[in-house]
Amino acid sequence: MRRVPAWRRGLRPYLLSVPAVLLIIGILYAFFYGVYYTVLNYAATNPTPSFVGADNYRSVLGDPLFWRSAGTTLLYAVAATGLETVLGVAIALLLNRSTLIGKTFERLLILPLMIAPVIAGVIWKLMFNPQFGVLNHVLGLGSTFDWLSKDRALASTILVDVWIYTPFVAILVLAGIRSLPKEPFEASDVDGANWFYMFRRLMLPMMWPYILVAVIFRFMDCLKVFDAVYVLTAGGPGVTTTTLQIGAFEDSITNLNYSRGSTYMFLLWIIVFITARYLVSVLGKAQRRAAGAGA
Amino acid sequence: MNEFTRSESGLHVPKKKVTRRSMLAAMGGAATVPMLYGCGVGTGGGGDDAGSANGAGEVTGSFDWKALKGESIKILQTPHPYQQAFQPLLKEFTELTGIEVQADLVAEADYFTKLNTELAGKTGAHDVFMTGAYFIWQYGPPGWMEDLKPWIENSAATSDEYDFEDIYEGLRTSTRWDFEKGSELGTGGQWAIPWGFETNVVAYNKKEFDARGIALPETFDDFIQLANDLTDRSQNRYGVAFRGSKSWATIHPGFMTQFTREGAKDYTAEGTTYTAAMNSDKAVDFTKKWVDLAKSAGPTSWTTYDYPQCTGDLGNGNAMMVYDADSATYPKQKAGASAQAGNLAWYPGPAGPDGSYATNLWTWSLAMNAASKKKQAAWLFIQWATGKEAMNKATSSTFADPVRASVFDGSFKQTLGEFPGYLETFEKVIDSTKIQFTPQTKFFETTEDWAVALQDIYSGADAKSRLDELAKANTSKINA
Repeated sequence: MRRVPAWRRGLRPYLLSVPAVLLIIGILYAFFYGVYYTVLNYAATNPTPSFVGADNYRSVLGDPLFWRSAGTTLLYAVAATGLETVLGVAIALLLNRSTLIGKTFERLLILPLMIAPVIAGVIWKLMFNPQFGVLNHVLGLGSTFDWLSKDRALASTILVDVWIYTPFVAILVLAGIRSLPKEPFEASDVDGANWFYMFRRLMLPMMWPYILVAVIFRFMDCLKVFDAVYVLTAGGPGVTTTTLQIGAFEDSITNLNYSRGSTYMFLLWIIVFITARYLVSVLGKAQRRAAGAGA
Repeated sequence: MNEFTRSESGLHVPKKKVTRRSMLAAMGGAATVPMLYGCGVGTGGGGDDAGSANGAGEVTGSFDWKALKGESIKILQTPHPYQQAFQPLLKEFTELTGIEVQADLVAEADYFTKLNTELAGKTGAHDVFMTGAYFIWQYGPPGWMEDLKPWIENSAATSDEYDFEDIYEGLRTSTRWDFEKGSELGTGGQWAIPWGFETNVVAYNKKEFDARGIALPETFDDFIQLANDLTDRSQNRYGVAFRGSKSWATIHPGFMTQFTREGAKDYTAEGTTYTAAMNSDKAVDFTKKWVDLAKSAGPTSWTTYDYPQCTGDLGNGNAMMVYDADSATYPKQKAGASAQAGNLAWYPGPAGPDGSYATNLWTWSLAMNAASKKKQAAWLFIQWATGKEAMNKATSSTFADPVRASVFDGSFKQTLGEFPGYLETFEKVIDSTKIQFTPQTKFFETTEDWAVALQDIYSGADAKSRLDELAKANTSKINA
């Protein structure tokens, strides 16, 4: 057998890591370029930009709409993630029994996840329509109940998010439930513990890491929500459903003010990054506790 | 460079270990290099690079449709009656010129997002694109559009039969601007060629009107009264549909038309300084009426309504009237196109207190990408698509309204027999049809803010104070 020269063998680990390095450079390049835009005054109307320091940050942070959008985004994220988690866990518990109906629902559950959020937004926009939408017809609300009015638009967009992503939480939690060790439950059963006691004292502590993973994914996604909300309301009525992403989109794409849009997005990245770090640390603690509970 | 040493296994390993930290540092440095290099070359967008040089002067000799036989171009379009009418004709262009055309379609909701991104990237992926006149105010200053005036004026590039002056003057003017504050439209380069256009008038359900003996209202107050009378929510029927979504497109059709007829203006100009006037007494009075009309006799979900929902409700028989583009309602009258096909008719809508029929226009135009590498072929396509012959053929389909007087007066009029009032309406408003907005580069931002203000008023905000707030913000933005 022909011996591979030593220099080639030495080079191999570096060559193997080249795709990953290129990928990371590609990501970092775009990221830093975006950050670089935040200190310029680059816009379509100003194609030869100059350095403006922190002007964009002052402009965005001094804009009441930014803070209102941040509040809307946070409210959306907390409400949607909370509802999806509660419903997702409940559905997972129901589906845990491997009956025929359970298995059928398990397969049906994935359907909303197979629909692109933009399409889901269009479907729900049609269903919300008071003139010919199915919801008002089925619920007997008449032709004047507007799901997307100022008072209801945010709740309606959250409802759509819950419809799309509750199955995601349910599937993740269901996978977690099925991977739990059986022994503690059998022992509790022998000791005469009831279902609720076992759920509260055994299943829930051991499931926390799975639930938290779902919460982290959903919370991050909700902070970045754009597509379904944009299709449903474009951020309106007024600015009722304007999230940070919609604000960034309007500045960058509609108004072609790239620097201000980049500033919006960078600030959103900071929010997501800090939140992610916090939630990951909570997850770590939960995993350690769960390991103790499951041992 | 790291020194290498032979391990016991025979593999070469670095003497100094590459740690995760040093690797990240190296990657960060690698990422910074192109970033800084990027700074040096600028961040794009300027109209001064080679890609945007006008190539019209390089075309010499006599005009020949076959001059670029074997060439191919890509055009970017949105699915629309104009595009649909022309799609079957593209092969005729290929037969005439030997140039292949690939038409890429993007839904209208996403069309300008795609176009903005592509033009800003200056890739020149599409040689020709559909655009509206307002977009010239945004795409022109950074040099993303080619000035077509040198192409029109070059007899080697343009056929003698082209007859540019045959295009309605208001449309030719609306696609020209010099991008200077205070300048009127009609100055500067010809940034696009009008292709199809629309006046904003009222389409109504004639069958219902005739059955109930309803006369067409001449004043805005009468129009409001009629719309309210026609509304019966229990029957899922309402008086009038018009746009209300959070978009600049809510302002420009019926709203801007009636706003102007009532004597209001968007801005007043003093030299190069503009002052927003959408909070004048006339403007506030009209805005209140418009929003109240939306509440009492408009679509229930008004704040999400764009033109497809409006015309859909007209076609389904839910809306008794639509105040929007004539060409948007036009297809609903075609046999089999809607439940109310054959039952519709048109009229100019209410006149202003002084009898004004001032009407805002929209024109879908064809523009050349300044970054195109195939400008001559692109111009041949634009020339053909906006020419008499192709436009005459397109009018037999869903193409309304043609921008050429000769086509309108010729083949298009012949198709209008089943469209009661369409021609009379057109003839009544055409002389006062033009872009009623003040041209300005912040058009989309400030006009979307205007739509947001309408939505806020619809949701209960006080009209006067909300419009004062809007005017203050817009004056500041537009003069920045």
